[in-house]
Amino acid sequence: MPARNLRKPRVNVSQRQTAKHSGKRFSTMNAPEQFDVIVIGAGHAGCEAATAAARIGARTLLLTQSIETIGQMSCNPAIGGMGKSHLVREIDALDGIMARAADRAGIHFRVLNASKGPAVRATRAQADRALYRQAIRSLLEAQDGLWIFQQSVVDLLVDDGCVTGVETQMGLTLSAPAVVLTTGTFLGGKIHMGLNNFAGGRAGDAPSNQLAERLRSLPFRVDRLKTGTPPRIDGRTVDFSVMESQPGDEPLPCISFLGDVGDHPRQVACHITHTNVETHRIIRAALDRSPLYSGVIQGVGPRYCPSIEDKVVRFADRLQHQIFVEPEGLQTRELYPNGISTSLPMDVQVALVRSIEGFENAHITRPGYAIEYDFFNPKDLKYSLETKALEGLFFAGQINGTTGYEEAAAQGLLAGANAAWKVAGREPWCPRRDEAYLGVLVDDLINLGTNEPYRMFTSRAEYRLRLREDNADVRLTPLGRKLGLVGEVRWRSYCHKRKLVDELAHVLGKRVLSPGSELATTLETATGERISKEGSMLGFLKRPGITLSGLLDSLSSDLDSVLPELAGVGREVLDQVEVEAKYEGYIKRQEGEIARVRRNENIRIPAALDYAAVKGLSNELREKLLVSRPETLAKASRIPGMTPAALSVLLIYIKKLSVVAQGLEKLQLPPTAADASG
Amino acid sequence: MAAIAETIAAVATPPGQGGIGIVRLSGPEAKAIGEGIVGGALVPRRVKFAEFKNQTGNMLDEGLVLYFVAPRSFTGEDVVELQGHGGPVVMQLLLDETVNRGARLARPGEFTERAFLNGKIDLAQAEAVADLIGSSSRAAARGALRSLKGDFSKAVFDLDQQVLQLRVYMEAAMDFPDEEVDFLNGGQVVARLGEIHEGLNLLLRGSTQGILLNDGITVAILGAPNVGKSSLLNVLSGEERAIVTDIPGTTRDLLHVDLTLQGLPIRIVDTAGLSDSRDPVEVEGVRRAEQQAVEADLVLWVSEAGREEIRVWPGSDNTIRVANKVDLTELEAGLAQRPDGQSHVLVSAKTGAGIDALRAHILEKAGFAGDASTFTARKRHLLALEEAMAALQRGQTLIAENLQTELVAEELRIVHEALGTIAGVVSADDLLGEIFANFCIGK
Repeated sequence: MPARNLRKPRVNVSQRQTAKHSGKRFSTMNAPEQFDVIVIGAGHAGCEAATAAARIGARTLLLTQSIETIGQMSCNPAIGGMGKSHLVREIDALDGIMARAADRAGIHFRVLNASKGPAVRATRAQADRALYRQAIRSLLEAQDGLWIFQQSVVDLLVDDGCVTGVETQMGLTLSAPAVVLTTGTFLGGKIHMGLNNFAGGRAGDAPSNQLAERLRSLPFRVDRLKTGTPPRIDGRTVDFSVMESQPGDEPLPCISFLGDVGDHPRQVACHITHTNVETHRIIRAALDRSPLYSGVIQGVGPRYCPSIEDKVVRFADRLQHQIFVEPEGLQTRELYPNGISTSLPMDVQVALVRSIEGFENAHITRPGYAIEYDFFNPKDLKYSLETKALEGLFFAGQINGTTGYEEAAAQGLLAGANAAWKVAGREPWCPRRDEAYLGVLVDDLINLGTNEPYRMFTSRAEYRLRLREDNADVRLTPLGRKLGLVGEVRWRSYCHKRKLVDELAHVLGKRVLSPGSELATTLETATGERISKEGSMLGFLKRPGITLSGLLDSLSSDLDSVLPELAGVGREVLDQVEVEAKYEGYIKRQEGEIARVRRNENIRIPAALDYAAVKGLSNELREKLLVSRPETLAKASRIPGMTPAALSVLLIYIKKLSVVAQGLEKLQLPPTAADASG
Repeated sequence: MAAIAETIAAVATPPGQGGIGIVRLSGPEAKAIGEGIVGGALVPRRVKFAEFKNQTGNMLDEGLVLYFVAPRSFTGEDVVELQGHGGPVVMQLLLDETVNRGARLARPGEFTERAFLNGKIDLAQAEAVADLIGSSSRAAARGALRSLKGDFSKAVFDLDQQVLQLRVYMEAAMDFPDEEVDFLNGGQVVARLGEIHEGLNLLLRGSTQGILLNDGITVAILGAPNVGKSSLLNVLSGEERAIVTDIPGTTRDLLHVDLTLQGLPIRIVDTAGLSDSRDPVEVEGVRRAEQQAVEADLVLWVSEAGREEIRVWPGSDNTIRVANKVDLTELEAGLAQRPDGQSHVLVSAKTGAGIDALRAHILEKAGFAGDASTFTARKRHLLALEEAMAALQRGQTLIAENLQTELVAEELRIVHEALGTIAGVVSADDLLGEIFANFCIGK
């Protein structure tokens, strides 16, 4: 492990540090005074960042305002879902902690889109908040090389454009050559309820305004975003008998590749109810007291997570809106009514909740609210999530304009790992779009920025068919092992599974299926398919509607005689062999596309390119290019509204510049614009 | 913008005998070279009559010289035009002289390229200009003009919007499985795929026409000796005398004629009669004739009406069987069915009977539908449309087989991206924006 490498740069930093800061030193614990990586914030980004850095071997300090709220789920109590579970599986494939905690805390699991295909299949867990916090905390405490310390950070220490550590509210000075900032909505947070508003982080927590001021003074572009939560409800005052019950899936899925159904606590059902015409009337009548509609809130809210007042106004013809009633945990009766996020005044919240079927007598335990907060324009980041302005400072999570635990955690892992690698003097890892949702996430943020809280969707991934939940380990675990992120246990488990998958695929590829044979006849009877040409068993698997697990079920008694290869093989292995066989053609085709894009990835656009001098670009595109200043032609091609013609113009201009610069004889026009756009 | 150092020169008028021939120069040395040739100072935008001389003082030609100062010229650079008496020899001498004085021969399209690089025209215009210049018939030129006006882009854009709307439903169905909206039935996927198919088909046909109009087709006339191949060639080319040019082929035995049929440029190649002779010259002639048949877009296989074919032609999809000398028989001229089920066109090269039917049949076989709805599509446009069509058809098959939504969605993404290479790219975020604008989604 690279722990030894990590020590070298530390010495220099320490000397600078001592000279500059005479504040109190951190020597009260049995911990080093000097860390390799300091992570500020112990939410979902912070926890993955801290554990990732520590797994790589960096001595890591995790600073939090409150140890009690480590791993707190501040919005709805669920992990996973479309696009998000893909991120969780990637975190897990890199030996992160989110999936394992979700398996230990999940009290209701569902697999979404089971029939629409493996690439859009997504697992979601309702989590017991308390169990989730416990799980995260115990996973943190089990991590070697990671120290946790409860302390608010008030300042960043900077020397010559490099971050050197942090100062806490007690005046303690903590030194490290890399700092990961994961402060979520705590920066400049402002809570709205009706026309009242007050400064705050999550309801009940203090905002980090001092640090926010400090960060605002640094050369980062700061913008405001908005998000909201619904009022919480006391389950004892709810009539579940009139609601639709939604039980979890059977068999129970796991989220982690290392997960075991035995990890799951007791399972419970969710419920579904709806708003109605009366609810909508109440909301409309109160819009003049809505901070959203009276102009008090300036931050931009997410399109996919509208408040109930937004839904009622924008889709006025809808007679009802769905509400998922999610349990907050096993030890509490509190409920999270997902779908009625609101910032209307308290009296309106009570009236609107009680107009809903099943909630007629509901008691609100916590009011809903909207929160506005600062985020830093992610275009100011490098692909490693290090800031361009301050060396050694990394940003991860909501602070970069994303929303969601999973999006935050994924960034945290990347930032934590890259911070550790930086201290070790190694190159950062910058995942590509065709490699991981994490690559899509970072590329979208850095290349396009965002003007609403960014949430992952599978439709954001052009290589969706490759980036599946089921193959996150194949895509990332070997890489994670090389990066020092993947520990021995996971690595062995991965290698074992991979071996079984490869062996089975090999065996089935060799197993000849000839018309009229016993195997063929049995399969024809079992599936209704006709086998008229000789082929392999693996080829048969590629047929639509044929699944290995389906075969297992229909062949059960004959299995040993006709297909002994399948006996005793785990479902996970069967599924993997099957998906890989079925998707082979699609994946190959996408590889061609990826190769074309990579060519454009190699065409660099000079950082100081004078876009005003590039003739033939529309003003709109010129603006966009000026703002995002893409580093390569491939990145330029992903700017919304970019046209192949404009890319050709750019390409020709770049080539012309280099021709002039190198005094070359020939200026080669691209044969077609289509080539240029890849 | 940094200037390109080289000065380029080319003959700007079409090759061949013409009343006027122009040599055009563009670049920083254009003025100096022009002044050297005419032996005097050039004044911007002033026409001057002068003698064109080479460096040893011999007169090459005489004519008009024009000078345009950068950036107020076609290319945005200094441009000089020497307008002489045309004729390939004089033009070549004049062009050589510009090279002797420091110019470089321009690559094809390099003037347009410089105009584009200097911001005088945009890429689409540059392409359309190139098409206008390169168009080999009036119909093709009309198609290019239509594309310049943006009819083609508009048609592609409309189709692109249809694909976007369908994707909105498909993607919403996958990314928002919890919503109480039946996206797939609501989106009427099958019907919409059908509509897109139809639209794509129209576009493809229009674009194929445009490419046909630009590139034209080659028709080879084959047959046994003395069945009347050459008379057929003459009668086919007879109509549009004005644009027919007879050019001897590279060998004595091949002759081609260029003509246009309803605007479609056609090159008709006459071949030596296919005989079974052992004479080495004739054997070589037959070999070449067969080679022509392979390379041609269409083959006219000519035999004599009412007679047994002396030599059997294997035939293929692109073969039109022609029975000549119908005037010597009782048979009626025109398209007819043969006893063996093959269709053939009965004609008389001598009287002209059946020739109109043959022309119509040639156009039909070439897939040419007149120029009513054609676009000057570039080859790349056609390739993109074909890629879109292939993906769309795969998607339709997947739906028919009731396969997974994500695979249909993948094919639609490819359709969309292929159209995007013409109409402009729609980003994933735009797609999501459409979803949120259309449906009440989210918790």
